[in-house]
Amino acid sequence: MMATIGDPSRQGAAPAPTLKERVEDFLSYEGELLDERRFDEWLELFAEDARYWMPLARNVEHNNLEEEYSREQQDAAWFDEDKKTLLQRVMQLKGGDHWAEEPFSRTTHITANTRIENAAETELTVKSRFIVYVNRREGEVRLFVGKRIDVLRPVGAGFLIAKRSIFLDQSKLLFKNLTTFF
Amino acid sequence: MDGDTIDGRLVDAGSGLIDRRIFSDKDIFEQEMKQVFGKSWLFVGHESQIPNKGDYFTSQAGRDAVVVTRDSDGEVRVMLNVCTHRGMPVCRYDKGNAKRFTCPYHGWTFSNNGDLSGLPLSTEGYGGQLDRKKWGLIQARVTLYYGSIWATFDETVPPFEDTLGDMAVMLRDFMQGPDGEDDGLEVIDGILKFEIHSNWKFGAENNAGDLYHDVSHNSVQRVGLALSGLRGRHVWNADKHLFKTLNVAYPAGGHAARVNLYDDEQREYHPQWAVIPEVDEYFRAAHYARQERLGEKARLLNRGGIVFPNIAYNSAGRWQITMWVPRAPNRTEVWKWYFVPKNAPQKVKDTLRHYLLRYGGPSGMVEQDDIENWASAQVGAESAAANRLPMNYTLHMGQARWAWPVPWFGEGAYVDEGVSEHAQRIFYAHWAEMMGGPVSGQETGR
Ligand code: FES
Ligand SMILES: [Fe+2]
Repeated sequence: MMATIGDPSRQGAAPAPTLKERVEDFLSYEGELLDERRFDEWLELFAEDARYWMPLARNVEHNNLEEEYSREQQDAAWFDEDKKTLLQRVMQLKGGDHWAEEPFSRTTHITANTRIENAAETELTVKSRFIVYVNRREGEVRLFVGKRIDVLRPVGAGFLIAKRSIFLDQSKLLFKNLTTFF
Repeated sequence: MDGDTIDGRLVDAGSGLIDRRIFSDKDIFEQEMKQVFGKSWLFVGHESQIPNKGDYFTSQAGRDAVVVTRDSDGEVRVMLNVCTHRGMPVCRYDKGNAKRFTCPYHGWTFSNNGDLSGLPLSTEGYGGQLDRKKWGLIQARVTLYYGSIWATFDETVPPFEDTLGDMAVMLRDFMQGPDGEDDGLEVIDGILKFEIHSNWKFGAENNAGDLYHDVSHNSVQRVGLALSGLRGRHVWNADKHLFKTLNVAYPAGGHAARVNLYDDEQREYHPQWAVIPEVDEYFRAAHYARQERLGEKARLLNRGGIVFPNIAYNSAGRWQITMWVPRAPNRTEVWKWYFVPKNAPQKVKDTLRHYLLRYGGPSGMVEQDDIENWASAQVGAESAAANRLPMNYTLHMGQARWAWPVPWFGEGAYVDEGVSEHAQRIFYAHWAEMMGGPVSGQETGR
């Protein structure tokens, strides 16, 4: 708002948000939907041909870093989903009989260090970092920290997620389950 | 607990009652690491992970870290990942290719066959006298079984095939492709590793044959996961031929399998992967090839089971091995290998990979609920007040039969039909025996 001071033409109106601000806002909103268990609305933010991928991380030699993460469309992974299978997961979550998430965990998704790496007209590549805190039932706590690369498609004033790659900073998963979306 | 022998009342497999302390007691845990894991052949990996000379991966033989190599002569080695000088792990990578491993501490260097090939200050410090034969990496006994790699560091354990006994029927079948070809599977690169706050035996007993816990999987049944086009998680539900559901236990080794035995050896194929016709075509052809190859044994649909003590396997479209790495009474590291048929077209491998990733492990729509069960059961196992009542494994007692209903299950097969805790009783009877405790009752097969 500071920028509007002394600018009579902009009096009372917020400046149009920058692309970066719009992306940040979108990612915050998306996390909010998950934290509020509005899974259907969250899923609507994905393009019909979306891909959602979370590889395994491995401990490899310094000169062999290309093998640090399991390969896409070829190796094992924590998640390798399309929109249809994400929908199945949402349906499973919502039924009240998916005991690994019944009652729902409390989650807080924090997205930070958002940076637009590439902005073409039809697609943006956005890098960010995440912290996802999960508290399940009473004492169970899971803390996930890592990196994301999103491919976003501008649609009207908002975006659709065309591809999400999630790089978790754990080789052995330090927790028993991955029942949370990232 | 005196730590030496298990009081017979802790495991009374004959009456199906088991004391909760075997899941929570620290002394019992230490004892089972020595007497059960230390005295058993343990699965450590699969040959397809190390196709070339020099290939290696790190694994676990119980609590012992190992490195599995294909040495420069092509031989598979399983060696303790512990420097013989003063104990550092000599390999700190999950996988790779190397001629030698150099210890980061003082530089002792070991060839990929374990020989001590490099010794700093060999002459000045050791006067050229250090016996390099003696100070190579500690080698496990190794058995290769249709592609799977087994190891033990104990010299007194009988040969692998002896401890496997008639369970060989099931393990060999599991390692076959869907067309019945031996050693027919290959590992999908990438081993899933995760950690459950529960005792390793909860996962093991569940996989031995818990056909009672369907309620746990209601959510995935409702949503559907199988690619048969039907609801549910199992592709074989699409096979409408008549069968018996059997819990096939092998008391001599503590192993067990959950199987369908179809009435007929020659059965027409019912589409189990109908959603993707190209994939279904492969399985159709494999189905008939298997009948041709196996004859009467093609009546078997091996759904899954355990090889005592450290792995569970799932078969029948969900080829995977789950390995228990016990860390503490209430903490188990779990490793998971996924497999696809070696000779299948890429499209089939891709389809299976997606199905497997959605099925098992911490991100699997089926196993998430299993894992939740095992972790939750630990709470009850640690309840002091609950200790007045043992765990109850009395479901469907006293009806098992030997070498039934087909002789080729083997004389050592002790079989119960339907929903039963028979396989769990056998599992605990064998466990108690290895722990040195008295075992009794006809349920144990003795
Ligand atoms: S501990 Fe390995 S060289 Fe000393
Ligand atoms: Fe289960």
